[in-house]
Amino acid sequence: MPTVEGTLCLTGHHLILSSRQDNTEELWLLHSNIDSIEKRFVGSVGSIIVKCKDLRVIQLDIPGMEECLNIASSIEALSTLDSVSLMYPFFYRPMFEVIEDGWNSFLPEAAFKDLESMTDEWRLSEVNKDFSVCPSYPPLVAVPKDVDDDTLRKVATFRHSGRFPVLSYYHKKNGMVMMRASQPLTGTNGRRCKEDEKLINATLRPGKRGYIIDTRTINVAQQAKARGGGFESEANYPQWRRIHKALERSNVLQESLIKLVEACNDQSHSMDRWLSKLEASNWQTHVKEILTTACLAAQCIDREGASVLVHGTEGTDSTLQVTSLAQIILDPACRTIRGFQGLVEREWLQAGHPFQQRCAQSAYSNSKPRQEAPVFLLFLDCVWQILRQFPCSFEFSESFLVLLFEHAYASQFGTFLGNSTAERAKLSLPEKTVSLWSWVNRPQELERLTNPLYEANSLVIWPSVAPQSLLLWEGVFLRWNRSSKCLDEAYEEMVHIIEYNKELQNKVNTLRRQLAQLETEDPLLQTP
Amino acid sequence: MEFSDHIKTANVDDVVLRQPLHPPSRGTVCITGHHLLFSDRDEGSSRQVLLLLRNIDAIEKRISGSSGTITIKCKDLRVLHLDIPGMEQCLNIAHSIETLSCLDSVSEMYPFFYRPPDLSLHNQWGLSSPEKHYSQIKELHDKWRLSTVNSDYSLCPSYPPAVIVPKSTDDDLLKKVAKFRQGGRFPVLCYYHRKNGMVIMRSSQPLTGANRKRCREDEHLLQAMIDGSDKGYIIDTRSSQQAQQARLTGGGFESKSSYSHWKRLHRQMERGKALQESLIKLVEACGDESHNMDRWLSKLENSKWLSHVQTALSTAGLLAECVERDGHSVLVHGSEGTDSTLLISTLAQLIMDPCCRTLEGFLALLEREWVQAGHPFQQRCARSAYSHARLQQESPVFLLMLDCVWQVWRQFPLALGFSEALLLRLANEVYASNYGTFLCNSHQERCALGVTENTHCLFQALLRPMERDYYSNPLYEPTELAIWPSVHPQSLQLWRGFFLRWTEHTRLLEEAQEEIRNMVIEWGKLALSDALSMNT
Repeated sequence: MPTVEGTLCLTGHHLILSSRQDNTEELWLLHSNIDSIEKRFVGSVGSIIVKCKDLRVIQLDIPGMEECLNIASSIEALSTLDSVSLMYPFFYRPMFEVIEDGWNSFLPEAAFKDLESMTDEWRLSEVNKDFSVCPSYPPLVAVPKDVDDDTLRKVATFRHSGRFPVLSYYHKKNGMVMMRASQPLTGTNGRRCKEDEKLINATLRPGKRGYIIDTRTINVAQQAKARGGGFESEANYPQWRRIHKALERSNVLQESLIKLVEACNDQSHSMDRWLSKLEASNWQTHVKEILTTACLAAQCIDREGASVLVHGTEGTDSTLQVTSLAQIILDPACRTIRGFQGLVEREWLQAGHPFQQRCAQSAYSNSKPRQEAPVFLLFLDCVWQILRQFPCSFEFSESFLVLLFEHAYASQFGTFLGNSTAERAKLSLPEKTVSLWSWVNRPQELERLTNPLYEANSLVIWPSVAPQSLLLWEGVFLRWNRSSKCLDEAYEEMVHIIEYNKELQNKVNTLRRQLAQLETEDPLLQTP
Repeated sequence: MEFSDHIKTANVDDVVLRQPLHPPSRGTVCITGHHLLFSDRDEGSSRQVLLLLRNIDAIEKRISGSSGTITIKCKDLRVLHLDIPGMEQCLNIAHSIETLSCLDSVSEMYPFFYRPPDLSLHNQWGLSSPEKHYSQIKELHDKWRLSTVNSDYSLCPSYPPAVIVPKSTDDDLLKKVAKFRQGGRFPVLCYYHRKNGMVIMRSSQPLTGANRKRCREDEHLLQAMIDGSDKGYIIDTRSSQQAQQARLTGGGFESKSSYSHWKRLHRQMERGKALQESLIKLVEACGDESHNMDRWLSKLENSKWLSHVQTALSTAGLLAECVERDGHSVLVHGSEGTDSTLLISTLAQLIMDPCCRTLEGFLALLEREWVQAGHPFQQRCARSAYSHARLQQESPVFLLMLDCVWQVWRQFPLALGFSEALLLRLANEVYASNYGTFLCNSHQERCALGVTENTHCLFQALLRPMERDYYSNPLYEPTELAIWPSVHPQSLQLWRGFFLRWTEHTRLLEEAQEEIRNMVIEWGKLALSDALSMNT
């Protein structure tokens, strides 16, 4: 990156660097994007190294020691503000015309309308309308028609944090479903809950078995009993087959991310060192395990023709990775730009993935990790792997995934603030902030995010999960270390060719139509 | 001995062919002198596989009951399984493949029999030659000349008959220099950098030996090369320790005292057996089916292949930097000057010279720097990664070069006029081919066997209109600038298109590339018809 000289300006929410030349771009950096800073002094010149959550690293050389220290302490303070209501989205006013308010684009009612057109076996329950049954669920959830709200209340007391089984996906092709929940609270005594059994059995066809995919190993699930958790025993759930997978939990994932980013920034020119560090970070292993589990869930539904219930412990992390990726595999609608927004909205935001906790810090932070974990980033990485393997089957391009990664960690929009629908409602986000989707769903932005190679593919797409077929996501992890100029140029060239191709095809069609018209109008031109 | 003596069973029916990505199919196997042919019996979905026996690297037999399975592992890394009914037939087929796939006699190889209707043996052979190269670069004519001192190959058996040398050196001097360089490979010009008049020469190591023998003529030749300039660089593709050790076996390096105007840079590049073993390990890793990420990454690391790619690219980068940025001429050599020397001189030219980045220019570069410069293709490519035979002179230097070119192509998708498909095709052709281009080890050997008269030229064939379309890069935008590839380990990737080509993983990517290609072809046609409709 070239060196730029200019004036630095700090505002309440931004770090702005504007070069002294005119017409050059200014750097606007959200304080909330800053993960950590380092100070260095050489004589009276101080350097501040700003490390961002989107993995960018910027060095500021500031003349004057005192000024440098002042700037540093301001950045430190402003980038770690705890109060949500002081965040930038509450102050941001859109400079664009909102065509469609993103806060209303993906309401559960609308999604349920689609479901109703396919089946009448489900209903939309309002049992959680005041968030009292399950604080992390939205007010409306889809449940089997035959299960009433009282039953749901009882089931909620039997599931970790009240996350009773709800519908995640209905597979139109064969009517099979995917549900998600948290672990059952069986505890050491093997407590059971008839209502819970009734609820999930209500989703089975007569004589059919279902699969429970537990994202923990059998050992971890056993150990959970000691802390009041547990799993569905064969005795009480005879119609269900349990499969245990080993998806890592938050703190392990965060460490993996830190190691990976450190490896990517390694300046030593040793190939062995790079490959060992990549291996030691375990990141690619996590990608592979998550994809494998998602394929398993999709396989149970599509190939075995069975319904599936997915959960781990809390049902807010690995569970959502599996259910959302399985839908990418199974459902062509999720591979469109709008469909993918809907998926993120349903399976992550409304399903109660605690974005604020998980994305408070990223790979450069020096503070002790609390609840941080790159769960969503891993999901995006997995989607990128599928997109790379099926380059024509997605309506959106890689840049949409990178955009979602950036906004999950720092944004002017309110979409990823808060940890649940309840928190978002309490903060009045829909009234006080702008939705990311309002910005994305405008023609100029959609155009930028569209995959020029897209050809709607109505099939189920099975990604290869062999380690040899999974790649490091360069677009995120090596984004700031490599010059992408040549790759960007090639991409633009390709887009240009495709556009021109379309234009010419249209022209040809018009000419053909004109010719046909002339032929019908003028009998002399008609060929005998 | 006739081919037919090796074929006890020429046809077997009811054979099942199993291959990744395809459903099993049942059909007939037929063995000829040069081919294994499998053809499907189904008329609807007929499938034929025609395999050059030369392409077969190893076979494995498994007999169970009265039938057997032959696993065929090819040099292009494809693996096929044939289930053959009848033990005897199975053994016969296996025996024929084993014998016919490693016939030693070059003149019995398929290129001498390949006669496609659309090619004539009278067509021009090859794209470039030292003579043509010399005549194309007018700027050279002042200070450089074309010498035919090697016209009977007596000075240097591995050089072509004509070479480009400084004008101030006469043939008698060259004769003396040749004696002082291993294999007679005296320094010759391989590249002239138009921007600043600097050159790249290549040779083999000087035979200084333990007594530090000198050769005034060699020193004179090198001095003539940098004529007028204050200094030149020598890039030695061995570590300084290796170069020291070479003195014990009669080799050596250019000492500071005798070559005072030259600065020597040592870069250790892996050669020979180590490179072949690296390829074997890499291919084994790629075929690993354990589904374990750690295992895959450690095997990839252990194979060291990507380290070799990195070293080759960074040494070529160094060479190009000396010439383009530092403005000095460079002499490149290792020991024999037939492997790593050619690898980096080729890559450096690709980095600096836009002419080498067109389809035609790249093929001409390969012809000059590999075929004519005497890379011993026959020895290096006799076997590939699956062979069980003891290693002799095999080494995938050419393949490593193609991999490095692929890395450059990946980093600069617009700058090269050819596509990945060309690199894949070349990677196949070099191990088993219908064409004569990669036969033998030197120009002399090819001449003795009449290769140019009796076989067809691959490079000419690749430039026929249909093929040219297929192997061109649809996104090509020529640039005059040098293209400097990043050699950070993070920037280099496994060449999946080649190494994982026959597994599921790359198929869809090929489809996407096909899609782009079709679009561009369509675009060309439409643009043409558009232009026509505007004119009328």
